Order: sequence, then C-alpha cells, then structure tokens
Amino acid sequence: MDEIIKIQNLTKDFGQGRGIFDVNLSIKKGEVFGLVGINGSGKSTIMRHLMGFLRPDRGNTSIMGKDCWKSAAKLKKYVGYIPGEISFPDVHSGLDFLKLQADYMSLNSMAYANELVERLNLDPTAKLKRMSKGMKQKTAIVNAFMSDSDILLLDEATTGLDPLMQKSFIEIVQNEKKKGKTIFMSSHMFDEMESTCDRVAFLKNGEIIHVVDMKTILGKETMKEYKIEFNKQADYSEFLTRSFDITRRQDEYSQVTIHISDSNVDRLFGVLSTMDVRFISHKPYTLEACFKEIYNNTEVV
Amino acid sequence: MISKTLMKQTIKSNLSLWLVLTGLQAVMVALVAVSGTNLQQTALAYYNMLPGLISAIYVIVTSNKMIASQVDKGTLAYVLSTPVKRSKVAFTQATFFLGSLFIMFSISAGAHILSHYIGVGSISGGEVKAILLLNVGLFVLNAALSGICFLTSCVFNLSKYVTAVGGGIVGSFMILSIMAMFGESFHWMRNLTLVTLFDIDSVLSGSSDYIWKFIVLAAVATVTYIIGSIAFTKRDLPL
Repeated sequence: MDEIIKIQNLTKDFGQGRGIFDVNLSIKKGEVFGLVGINGSGKSTIMRHLMGFLRPDRGNTSIMGKDCWKSAAKLKKYVGYIPGEISFPDVHSGLDFLKLQADYMSLNSMAYANELVERLNLDPTAKLKRMSKGMKQKTAIVNAFMSDSDILLLDEATTGLDPLMQKSFIEIVQNEKKKGKTIFMSSHMFDEMESTCDRVAFLKNGEIIHVVDMKTILGKETMKEYKIEFNKQADYSEFLTRSFDITRRQDEYSQVTIHISDSNVDRLFGVLSTMDVRFISHKPYTLEACFKEIYNNTEVV
Repeated sequence: MISKTLMKQTIKSNLSLWLVLTGLQAVMVALVAVSGTNLQQTALAYYNMLPGLISAIYVIVTSNKMIASQVDKGTLAYVLSTPVKRSKVAFTQATFFLGSLFIMFSISAGAHILSHYIGVGSISGGEVKAILLLNVGLFVLNAALSGICFLTSCVFNLSKYVTAVGGGIVGSFMILSIMAMFGESFHWMRNLTLVTLFDIDSVLSGSSDYIWKFIVLAAVATVTYIIGSIAFTKRDLPL
C-alpha cells in the first residue's frame, strides 16, 4: 500500500457557505501534490485538518494509516509543516528559533538546517522582529525541512519570497522529491506547481472541482495548440477549408489557432508546406490556463 | 508530562513581570512588618487589601499568555508541529502558572517572617504558623482565580475575550471584596466573591473555619484547571 495521505469525505462547515465540503484525496508515497484555489477556497483548512488542529465535522483524514486528529502528536515525527501565517514565538533571532524547534523535535544535528540556510541565502542571526516577510518565510522553510521528515505539508510556502528565492525553493522541493519525500503543498503560484507537482487539485468554494495530472500539461500533453499566421489572404482562406479543429479565427490578421494531436502534426505540416506562412507558434497549455478553463466552467452550489 | 523546552520558553517570556510583582509584594509586606506592628495590624493593612490586587494583575496578564495569545498570534503552530501533545502543552503551562504563584507567596511569607523578626525583635511559633497559613490562603485563592483565567485562556481563540471574561471575573471579585468593606450596607457583597473564602480572621483567631474554605478554593482551582486543559485538547485551533 503506497497511499500515504488519505482524505475521505472531509467536511468542515464554518457557516455562510464557508468551509470545505466532502473533500476526497489520496496521495501516494513519493508524490508531490498541489492544491490550488483562490483565497478563502479552503486550502489552509485542509492543511489544518492534516495537522490535527481542526476536527472534521464529517469524514476523516489519515497519514500513514493513522488518524490525523487522534494521533496528531505522534504523526509530527514524520511531518514537516509551513503554516499559512507566519508568526514566530518570542525569541531573539532566527537561529534561536531554529534551535528551539530542534529542541522540541529532539533533533541532534543542525547540519541540514545549515545547508538550507546557505541555499536560501538566509542570515539566521538577524532579529526575528526586524525580519522582512521574505526572511521570515525563509526561516519557516528551513524549520519545516530541517528535520528531514518524510512528509511535508507546505501552506503557501513562497509568499513573500523574491523570484530568485522562489527558484531556490523549487530546487529544494525537487531535491526532497528525489529523496522520496511526499509533499502536499498549497499555492497560487502556477509556475511553482508546474515545476514541482505530479498532480494538482483545484479547489473552489471548499470543493475539489478537478484533479489534473501534470503529465497532460505543459507540452507533455498530446493535444497541442498552434497559432498560425499567413502572409497571404488566399492561403488563409484555403487553410480554413481543410478540416482542422479551429479554436480561434482572426480574419483581420489572417491568423488562426488550431487544436491538434501529435499524431496528426505531420498532416498539418504537409498542408502548410505549400503555403506562405508568416509564423507558427506553439501555445503551451499551462496549469493556469487549465485552471481558468475548469474554474470558470464549474458551478459549485 | 512536562515539555522541558516549552517550560524554559514559558519561564523566559513571563519572568520579568513575575519578578517585578513578586518583588513589589515582598517589599510591601516587609515594609509593613518591619515597622514593628503586631501580626493583627499587618494582616489588616497588608493581607486584607494589597496582595490580592498585585497577584490579580499577574494572574490576568499571565493567563492570557499561557494559551490564548499563542493561539491568537499563531505561534503555537510551531510547538504543535513538533511531537508535543496538546495535553502536554496544557499541563506544562498549568504547572508553570501554579508553580510561579506558589513561589511568589513563599517569597512573601519568607519576607514577612524575616521582617517581623527584625521589626519586633522576636517571633513565636504561632506567629510563624499564622504567617505561613495566610500565605497558603493567598496561594489557594490565587490558584482558584488563575484557574478561572486559565480556563478562559484554553477556551477562547482571541486574547481580548480572555482579558474581558477572565479579567472581568477576577476584577469583579476584587472590587466586590473591597466594596464589602465599606460598611454594613455593602456587607452582602462578600457572598458574591471567592475572595471571602480567604478567611483572615479565622486564621488569626485560631479557629478551624479556614480549613474548609481553603479546601473549596483548592477544589475550584483543580476543577477549572482540569476542565480548561481538557477543553484545550478537544477544540479546534485556528493555527
């Protein structure tokens, strides 16, 4: 059984339509699973259930077969966590905080913590109170990863990080993935999810509306979209008569967008070879495009 | 049952207020007693009025910091993201709270005994016993008050509610007990406040009435601490 995180019929109703409703997810060992949704869609609520901070109204959550509410403390030996809101305890510096946490976790070696500090370019001796949001976030990231837990729950881990540091973060996540860690992360940064996740769930008003396999996204998809512009109006008109799946026409530019599967791409080039093409470009199907499409087409009661 | 790391952290963040108020209280009783007044008068001037107020400040401020403010600010998320059980958190904080009050009144008792000896020149076994009993009484009274505040700290997510409800209850007890001293027509107010169970007259006159009253206070403390801790382990935390 390689299923490591299981969420079954999880419901938590905060009233006024807020909360999460009948959420079902199953995450395999070694998988990086993403959770996308607008603010208030219930990402943190799901995380908090997995952390044992909230008790389900209905349904249950389990990690490694143990109930997240009942075995909350026991499970923390295997779980690293970045909370959605960063607020540090009353200690002097980042280093003091990390040492305090290591103490709680009975962690003997700070070697990995130091490595992470280096990689995130963090000055751990800085005073916590004077830290910028990004620095605090980095400190929280080091804290979550330093104990080398098998499972990582990351609730919007990159908020406040600059683009360079986001890249470092992605590298850290990819590195952990190579080590076989299971990672459950929420975010609204699509590029971050694209480069790390195996699967991504879309959350709308507390319900999972879709789970997308990243294999079908970002050039790995077999149905691709191409935009073609012709130099001559005649070619354009001629092209329209050939039976391609046309998703968009822009007559004034002699421009057309088509949807075509990889197996048919030869036929496309066959047709185009006799025509005067100004350009052809591949429009990658991004997670963002996928999200927007599904999000807008799904009604949640 | 106790998390050493959390205990260290709790001591660090509460030490300064505790030191100031413990010192203030000890100095006050010493100043009264060192003047050479007898025990009865010291009791009237000091035990009747002041220490309740000083320790009440400590109880109200500290109870909020025990649990509620850490939930409110979200800092508890870091403690609970390690293998520390909620019950362990509650037990550690309760131990600190009660322990700090116990030491506070032990120091006051020591200061009183020493300054009485200096002021009067001698001290009898009966007087030592009475001073110790008065401070035991103050301890159980404050244990009960801190229990009520601890309970609110365990139950509410927001600091302001702890201050409002816990602080409100302790504050009213204090005010009622002071009002009741303003003559016969206010005397009935004594029946509405826990402070009345700290029966100074009984201790000084040597009657045994104080025993059941102290036991009631200890019982209130036990029940409120236990209910608070259980409530904390069972409730949703917005961390």
